[in-house]
Amino acid sequence: MTVMSMMRKVLAHPIDFYYDIQDPKRLKWYQGFAVILLAYVARMLSILITGYAFQTREAYEISYFHEFVWIVVPWLTWSVANWGVSAIIDGEGKFKEVFVGSAFALTPYVVFIVPITVLTDILTLSEGSLYHFLVSAVLWWVGFLVLVKVKVIHDFELGKLVLVTVLSVIGILIIWFIGILLFGLMNQLVHFFIDLYQELQLR
Amino acid sequence: MLTLASALLVLLAPCQAFAAAPYLGYTYNTLGDDVRSVNGYLYEDSLDGYNMPTGPFNAPEDLFVAPDDTLYVVDTGNSRIVHMTSDGEPIAVIGDTDGPGKLNEPKGVFVKTDGTVYVADTKNQRIAVFRADGKFVRELTAPTSPLLGKDFSYSPSKLIVDKRDYLFVVSDGNTQGLVQLDPKGNFKGFFGANQVGFSWKRFLIKLVATKEQRAQMTTVKPLAFSNVAQDKEGFIYTTTFGTAYNQIERLSPVGVDTLNPGAKNRYGDRFVSNDAPFSVPAFADITVNDDGLITALDLQTCKVFQYDKLGNLLFVFGGSGDQNGLFTTPSAIGESSDGHIYVLDKGLNRIDRFRITPFAELVHQASKLYVDGRYKESETMWQQVLYLDANYDMAYKAIGKSLFRSERYEEAMRYFKLGHDRYDYSVAFGEYRKIYFRNHFAVIVGLIVLAYLLVKFGLPWTFRYLRGAFQGSNWKRSVPAKGGKAR
Repeated sequence: MTVMSMMRKVLAHPIDFYYDIQDPKRLKWYQGFAVILLAYVARMLSILITGYAFQTREAYEISYFHEFVWIVVPWLTWSVANWGVSAIIDGEGKFKEVFVGSAFALTPYVVFIVPITVLTDILTLSEGSLYHFLVSAVLWWVGFLVLVKVKVIHDFELGKLVLVTVLSVIGILIIWFIGILLFGLMNQLVHFFIDLYQELQLR
Repeated sequence: MLTLASALLVLLAPCQAFAAAPYLGYTYNTLGDDVRSVNGYLYEDSLDGYNMPTGPFNAPEDLFVAPDDTLYVVDTGNSRIVHMTSDGEPIAVIGDTDGPGKLNEPKGVFVKTDGTVYVADTKNQRIAVFRADGKFVRELTAPTSPLLGKDFSYSPSKLIVDKRDYLFVVSDGNTQGLVQLDPKGNFKGFFGANQVGFSWKRFLIKLVATKEQRAQMTTVKPLAFSNVAQDKEGFIYTTTFGTAYNQIERLSPVGVDTLNPGAKNRYGDRFVSNDAPFSVPAFADITVNDDGLITALDLQTCKVFQYDKLGNLLFVFGGSGDQNGLFTTPSAIGESSDGHIYVLDKGLNRIDRFRITPFAELVHQASKLYVDGRYKESETMWQQVLYLDANYDMAYKAIGKSLFRSERYEEAMRYFKLGHDRYDYSVAFGEYRKIYFRNHFAVIVGLIVLAYLLVKFGLPWTFRYLRGAFQGSNWKRSVPAKGGKAR
């Protein structure tokens, strides 16, 4: 229930919320995971109930695992990149605050995407602009909460906020690049040993 | 027991043997996947000229099927036109051995309904006109006009003649469009040139290139037409090499493409690569029958693609190979009035004839009604098509449209869904929703009122209740005292 009331708070008073979570006793790691899990559930539910006319993918093109990765990986990399960049540029936030705070920024998505998606079952494509407007409104709200989080937790002014956000995005890209690179190299390495083993085995 | 009996019946039934076609029938569904389909055309026989007194063909380049179903073969290597019946009986040989009527490697022919033969006499750079009996009448020499530009080189390869006796000539490598000539052979302008689309790559290169570099770059020219055909209404169909999109166009009398209005349609096989120049379909010839069915020949795959009037793919047949039914170097295609398709193979120096299958006849009938908007009449035919081939997406859409028109929206939605047609599904759903709302008006209004009451009174009450219940938690600060003013 604590998570629930925190979600209510972040929707109603985002700035107060991010001040409050800097109290070390209040924040728990599991709260972040819970919100991310809820976001994942909301995402899968909304995919499931999207009306046929609004579906952009065939059912076989949707993977439970990929959808999960596309929520968790951006969240993790954003937390790491944003925390790292802020720590260099005099940010006050702790990693735990960034980590859980970023998760709570997804609250509007968790709460509103399912009711909005229900609309696709009663709207036709010609009235679809209403649906698309609401979805983009929710996403803008999420983006706004992310910015509020950066500002309040690290106690930045506006110019620094923009700078840190841009740097964090660049940081995310670097992390992804290195991740993919490492994956490729590890792949090569593993294949090398597999080949070596086969060579010895079949000789 | 019953199954055993029926199995026996099947075994005992007289078997009719068919030679398997060397190609598998397939079509593209709405999602762009190639799915197995029933073959629309099968190889019947060939005409190679060896048994004819006129002798074998030598690298023939063009084939024209006249309205009376006689064939005109442009025997390019022998510099003559062979006029023959569809059974291979020669009627006349056009092209004199000497004099002004002597042809020099012609590449194209067009025959008017009165039998007048127009030959694109390529190496002589002229159009030669012959009477129906093969006697040379006159020639239309290379057009001269300041509008042609100084780099213009005339190499007529294909042509058509419209009802006014105006000629539309494909001049090899000319990027300005079809050369339009009046009946006397005077230049009347270019017709229906391809357009150069916007390209980000070109834009960015131009942005960073210096003036000298820009001067060195080749100017981008529109693509040249490769062939031309005319339907009975006078629309001109063209084919274009070297592009992945809109290779087939239908030009209106003012030269506007009406087959792909504002769209990028992909004809031919859909290859993995989008822009590689050597893997895009290269349509070399095209023929349009009286019902508006477009049949085009692709050099890249040696396959024949048939489209309906709206550009929907119906059938694919042929392929590259040595078996009967496959081609080595196909050069031209023609369709006779009885539905046979003739493919001229330059490599094998012969004409392959394909017969239409019952399935294709069914599809043609149904699609003819469908493109004319007579959905209701075509519905049972499309049902039969689906019975034979459940992969035929067009049938689902057509049945859906028929059901939509008879106001059976819920069934229409089902068929549009099967045909992956989201737009029409949505339109049918709109109508369905209207009726549903009308029929359940009282219940829906009741629910809305109930929902309003819930939000207005139920939710605040729940919140108050929950706040009371969790008063003891550590999130105490934001919780007002129970029974106090909630707002």
